[in-house]
Amino acid sequence: MKTKNALLSAAVLAVTISMVSCDKEKTDAPVQPITKTKDITVNFSGTTPFTLFSFKDTSVVANTDSTSTKWDFALRLTTFLVNSYSGGPGNAGVIVQDGLYDNITTAPAAGYAYDTTASQRAIKDGSWYDYNPTIHSFVPKAGKVFIFRTGDGSHYAKMELLSADYAPFTGPAPNQIIYKMRFTYQPDGSKNF
Amino acid sequence: MRRILDDMYKAAAFLLVSFITQFVFAQEDTLSNKTLDEIVVTATRTERKLGNVAVPVQIINRKSIQQTGSLRFQDILQEQTGLVIVNSNLGTSLNGYPSPFGQGVQMLGLDPAYTLLLLDGEPLIGRNAGILKLGRLATGNIQQVEIVKGPSSSLYGSEAMAGVINIITAAPQKEKLELQLHNATNNTWGGTMSYATRFNKKTGVQFFLNRYSSSGYDLDTSLYGKTVDPFRDWNGQLKITHNFSGKLQWVTSLREFDSKQTNNYEIYRQNNPAVVRGFTSEKDKTAFTQLRWQWKPGHKIYFRTFYNRYNNRSFVNLDKTDIKFDETTFNQSIVKPEIQVESNGKGQGHYIGGIGSYFEMIDASRYAGKKTVTTFYAFTQEEWNLLHQKLTVIGGARIDKRSDFAARLSPRIALAYKPNQKWKFTTSAGWGFKAPDFRHLYLNFYNSQIGYSLLGSQELGSELERMQQQGLLQPGADVSPYLITPALKPETSFGSHAGVTFTGANWLVEGELFRNDIRNLIDVFTLPFTRSNNQAIFSYHNIGRVYTQGLSVDIKYKLLPRLFVSGGYQFLDARDKEIMKKVKNGTLYKRDLVTFQTTVVTKSDYFGLFNRSRHTGNFKILYENKKNGFNAYIRLVYRGKFGYGDLNGDNIADDEREMVKGFVLANLALAKSINNHFQIQAGVENIFDYTNIQKIPNIPGRLFFLNINYSMENIFQHSKTK
Repeated sequence: MKTKNALLSAAVLAVTISMVSCDKEKTDAPVQPITKTKDITVNFSGTTPFTLFSFKDTSVVANTDSTSTKWDFALRLTTFLVNSYSGGPGNAGVIVQDGLYDNITTAPAAGYAYDTTASQRAIKDGSWYDYNPTIHSFVPKAGKVFIFRTGDGSHYAKMELLSADYAPFTGPAPNQIIYKMRFTYQPDGSKNF
Repeated sequence: MRRILDDMYKAAAFLLVSFITQFVFAQEDTLSNKTLDEIVVTATRTERKLGNVAVPVQIINRKSIQQTGSLRFQDILQEQTGLVIVNSNLGTSLNGYPSPFGQGVQMLGLDPAYTLLLLDGEPLIGRNAGILKLGRLATGNIQQVEIVKGPSSSLYGSEAMAGVINIITAAPQKEKLELQLHNATNNTWGGTMSYATRFNKKTGVQFFLNRYSSSGYDLDTSLYGKTVDPFRDWNGQLKITHNFSGKLQWVTSLREFDSKQTNNYEIYRQNNPAVVRGFTSEKDKTAFTQLRWQWKPGHKIYFRTFYNRYNNRSFVNLDKTDIKFDETTFNQSIVKPEIQVESNGKGQGHYIGGIGSYFEMIDASRYAGKKTVTTFYAFTQEEWNLLHQKLTVIGGARIDKRSDFAARLSPRIALAYKPNQKWKFTTSAGWGFKAPDFRHLYLNFYNSQIGYSLLGSQELGSELERMQQQGLLQPGADVSPYLITPALKPETSFGSHAGVTFTGANWLVEGELFRNDIRNLIDVFTLPFTRSNNQAIFSYHNIGRVYTQGLSVDIKYKLLPRLFVSGGYQFLDARDKEIMKKVKNGTLYKRDLVTFQTTVVTKSDYFGLFNRSRHTGNFKILYENKKNGFNAYIRLVYRGKFGYGDLNGDNIADDEREMVKGFVLANLALAKSINNHFQIQAGVENIFDYTNIQKIPNIPGRLFFLNINYSMENIFQHSKTK
């Protein structure tokens, strides 16, 4: 419970900070993409909320914004939502590409997948991680790069997951995962990273 | 009790002193003749001298089992070259308790599920997740263990993909009473009694009883509960042989194993810790009868019937309220009638052939209802002795038809060439297979703590339909591709070997190259949709192609008349062919665990399949003085580095942090005869106190033991036999 509150306040804080920085960006007219490494904490259980993420804000978005285009993807345990069609009201799409992160310098023009139905997600569960029954770990596969068109339908970002660790827990099984991810967001709307 | 223990350990100190003070050499038997004259039955299903066998065979005889002083069968196996005691690849439970499935034998780099375990030539059942708990086997009545390496399905059918381990129990030869009292660390006690006798030269009776118990041990005291909980095992066997005439012989044996182990651990119920207690009880009963009729010299026919029933019941109740928290049951039985014929021509050829069937039944709480399968089989094998007995050629095949899959033919050919008494060259090639387990087909398991489902391939379609109707699946899940799942195929292997044996006056050197290609490995896959609770659904499919190859060398050397030195080494290279393909194409990536930089996996990064050590070996020194009845036996067993679990995102073993470092287990036993009847034996197992709490919790650390052995021959029949 403590973690959740802390997380919520962190999220609120992050949103506030990023709002401030957004204002700044407008005046500076940036051309360089933003690359960041971030940890996000996501829930396990099917009855708990998804964690929503915005590349533009470079942070988690509050769940009250789930019906907006403010977020790009959402994650719970190993289920990805993409903000479009059944996933949400936005225009997001995704291409999962095998390769080295640094070698992917442009986003493809077409071929973005959507959450067509609740059981046919753009990012298939089980396709991007390995579950190891010997040590009960989820390990994101190396060399899986997620290329996103964002929720507003007009920006592009690339992302890779770097690690997945159970959040500290006291029960029989963990109830949250902390994903570490690296992402690059192009604020100028071009497909160049 | 305390005083007895003190006295026992004083006796142990005495042994050590007598070891240091005495070293007198005398002439004893040569090493080579003894070894090569040993009789083996497992390699060809008929009695053969080890020196004439064309496939790789290792023998562990009664004497060397006794010299180790160990009452645990896995300790004996792990001291053999190329045999590694491993956990189930399903791993340990989350909190670092040992694998609930027990430990099994890895042979030629294949998992325990692929080695057939026989007791007096008949199969042992009751495998859990492919592993047959080796703790079920007492060591006190073993006459000989025969280990045949390489695919042996041509004689034994399913499961004999990596090889066969046949445990042969003692037969009544003469009147003899043996008693043993065993005490070891962790309040471990063993009591053994065996008695054999013969009546009027025709009837023999052998009785064996063993009780073994321990308080278990706790490697991690920060966790509630012990690493291994207290247990007690009973093992009994009665064997009766009767010769009606020189031509007709009858054998019957009954065996029973009964084990009870405490379950006591902490669970989380509605996110609050609670203690649960209960028991796991295992019962394993076998009955065997055989009639052997020799209708003319060199021609025999065997009629055999074997029955085995295995029961396992495990439960835990909540400590405070005594309300049942969990219970699982597992019952399996098999009836196996068989007829075998044998004919030995005059020096040229030997023929064996047979037909038989298995009727198997399984009834377990994790399976949907009672399941039965029937297998019919027939085997044939011809052995030709050519070039004045210098060349032996063996060709054989077996056909197995199980009720739920197509007939399977497993041929094998083996050659042995002995140009002279010193050298023997062998080569063999054969096919092996393993039928899908009951769990692969029929498992219907829902993990109530975490919430995932694991379904056997035969259950998948109907169970998905049911779950969808009851709203237990994710809304909109498309189950249609899984309603008619393709039947699982047997896992198959093709194996070959080339070996050489050199026998000198004081030397015995054996070398062997081996290679196995395995197809259709059955593995777990994740369905693309989840349960309504968002947890995964798993099932099984045929997917993998792997190979294992390597070499093994065994050297025995008689250094001094009473001092024997031996060493063994195995190099193993075991890889997944799909992974090799990806690495070759540069499409497998790894991620540095510190910098998080992703790079392409190169061929040299790939260490090989998880849980396989590239290097394993053993080194033994035996000092044996028959004159004063003293012997000392030191064994060092090395298991090299092996991959444990993926951390860096490529799902292969390639990073040092994913490995378990190599380790040595050192064991010592000293024995001294007090008089014709009494012997005291003492020793230390795991002298260097190696433990690995997280990854190998089944290694208990250093253990001291003391045995008092008593034996007496011709007690009641003294006058008659003299």
